[in-house]
Amino acid sequence: MPEKLEPFVSVRDMHVTFGERRHRFEAVRGVSFDIFRGETFGLVGESGSGKTTIGRAILRIYPLSAGEVIFDGERISGKISSALDRRVTQRIQMIFQDPMASLNERAKVDYIVSEGLYNVARGISREERERRVADALSEVGLLPEFASRFPHEFSGGQRQRIGIARALIMEPEFIVADEPISALDVSIRAQVLNLMAALQKKRRLTYLFISHDLSVMRFICDRIAVIHLGRLVELSETEELFRHPLHPYTRALLSAIPQPSPDYARSGELIAYDPSVHDYRTDPPAWTELTPGHFVLGNQKECDAYRKEIEGSAKP
Amino acid sequence: MTDNHEQPVLQVEHLDIKFNLRGKVLHAIRDVSLELYEGETLAIVGESGSGKSVLTKAFMGLNDSNGWVDHGSILYQGHDLARYTTEKEWLTIRGREIAMVLQDPMTSLNPLKTIGAQIEEALRLHQGLRGAAARQRTVELLNDVGITEPDRRRRQYPHEFSGGMRQRVIIAIALACRPRILICDEPTTALDVTIQAQIIRLIYDLVHRLHLTAIYITHDLGVVANVADRVAVMYAGDIVEIGTSREVFYSPAHPYTWALLSSLPQLGKKGEELYTIRGTPPNLYHHITGDAFAPRNPNALKADFIERPPFFDITPTHKARTWLLDERAPDIRPPQVLSRIQSLGQ
Repeated sequence: MPEKLEPFVSVRDMHVTFGERRHRFEAVRGVSFDIFRGETFGLVGESGSGKTTIGRAILRIYPLSAGEVIFDGERISGKISSALDRRVTQRIQMIFQDPMASLNERAKVDYIVSEGLYNVARGISREERERRVADALSEVGLLPEFASRFPHEFSGGQRQRIGIARALIMEPEFIVADEPISALDVSIRAQVLNLMAALQKKRRLTYLFISHDLSVMRFICDRIAVIHLGRLVELSETEELFRHPLHPYTRALLSAIPQPSPDYARSGELIAYDPSVHDYRTDPPAWTELTPGHFVLGNQKECDAYRKEIEGSAKP
Repeated sequence: MTDNHEQPVLQVEHLDIKFNLRGKVLHAIRDVSLELYEGETLAIVGESGSGKSVLTKAFMGLNDSNGWVDHGSILYQGHDLARYTTEKEWLTIRGREIAMVLQDPMTSLNPLKTIGAQIEEALRLHQGLRGAAARQRTVELLNDVGITEPDRRRRQYPHEFSGGMRQRVIIAIALACRPRILICDEPTTALDVTIQAQIIRLIYDLVHRLHLTAIYITHDLGVVANVADRVAVMYAGDIVEIGTSREVFYSPAHPYTWALLSSLPQLGKKGEELYTIRGTPPNLYHHITGDAFAPRNPNALKADFIERPPFFDITPTHKARTWLLDERAPDIRPPQVLSRIQSLGQ
């Protein structure tokens, strides 16, 4: 839960563009949101929605074409000093999707986990480095002896733990987790989710959790933003989003979740999202806060309808 | 729904499948018996390595050449598929009797041929259709799987199709030879949720409209609840529980099924730990005594480590391999958290 309502990470009017001139493609089109210290902020969308691009742009992997990213009060997008760059590299880390593809097969676990230290903690002794690797491994529930092994000796779940240890060794405060459990088996997912929750509690971590799976996000996220074709369409506290999904795209996404309960699964109606329901020719949409903390992209007419709906459902 | 008095379309009896890997023998399928009834959709669930793909690939002779049926039979239309060895024999089954839809629509089409050519290839090989007749059937098939403007789309290449549309094309190819049994191996794992929901509906509609019998392989229990009439749960190369969807989800009997369902994030509450299964699945290179899940089962009985439990019937359609169902067993109840399944989505 957020401790104080002061944004830790702020994304302001982020635009990310790929390609030039005729091949120009705007993957992220004016996205703004705040992430509070200690919370898990979810970003949900389908492939091609730009959710991964946003995560990577925050990490400075992609440059912004407009807008800015503020991290703990400092602008970290665009040109920044090398001292700040190094601090950001240490304080923001990433957990990747596919643990079978994201570890260097030719390096030992020891090197994989400690690689980041060569950049930000130059000059530490070998003993110190080995000690930190052992600590990071035991923190994610692996044996320190594993440091001398190669990635192929591990199962998918263990490899994802190695990926988490690699992030933790930097002592980050903010972690971007891009689909960290999608590639894992059901029973392993639960282990990794528990581990992430425990680490968050222990180290006061802030997470940006990127996923396409709303049912998992309901369990781990404090707030969720829904993204569609590079634009946020809705943002709200998690339970509120599930209770009162307003934007038609959010509803379509919720209706598509396969629930593991046969009676419910068959009664559920599948809602398809048709962007032509919006009539934005004369009345363009704006990012509007309908109830405290619940934002939706809609024009005047739509927002009025949404408000009515919220009031209607509030009365028994 | 299935009627148990019916004659099964496919009957697997005491099947053992082994693989030879660098001189070591891996026992992938361990004494599996299974009936598949006309018109039903059976889901096989299990984690990676549980043997669900190996089992179904054996129905089509698609396992790697280092694997073999060590014991048992696969009866289909009076033939024992377990004894098939030559490609010639298998070609009488593959496609025309049993067809398969694979997981990744991005890699299972030929990028150099048009969609139409790939469907017509199946029609020519299996049904001898050529020219205008083949083209017409192709258009029908594309129409069946919900592709609009089929006559224009058949002339396009795979890269002009999205993931969901490619999966539709693959389903069309699988249906080209009017098979009786359709095996879907994780058909939606690589797709977006909204597309996944559409493909699930499509397969459901096709199975009913064309009177197919379907086997659905997946590790996603949400998908299972959506598609299956019956569910078989596999663990370490063995079916540990089988029953109707409602029976397996609402009154599961095997401790492994309990554990699998309990670890669903959908049942979790924020701030509480999710249930996890400790340990790792057994090594199938070694001989397994007793219940394969016993070492990971916190409530395992002594008997579980000594003798493999038989199938105990719970209802005429529901049975499980666990000593807990023996009359001498102590009263061990499923975890409380499972009661949340019934209230999901409400």
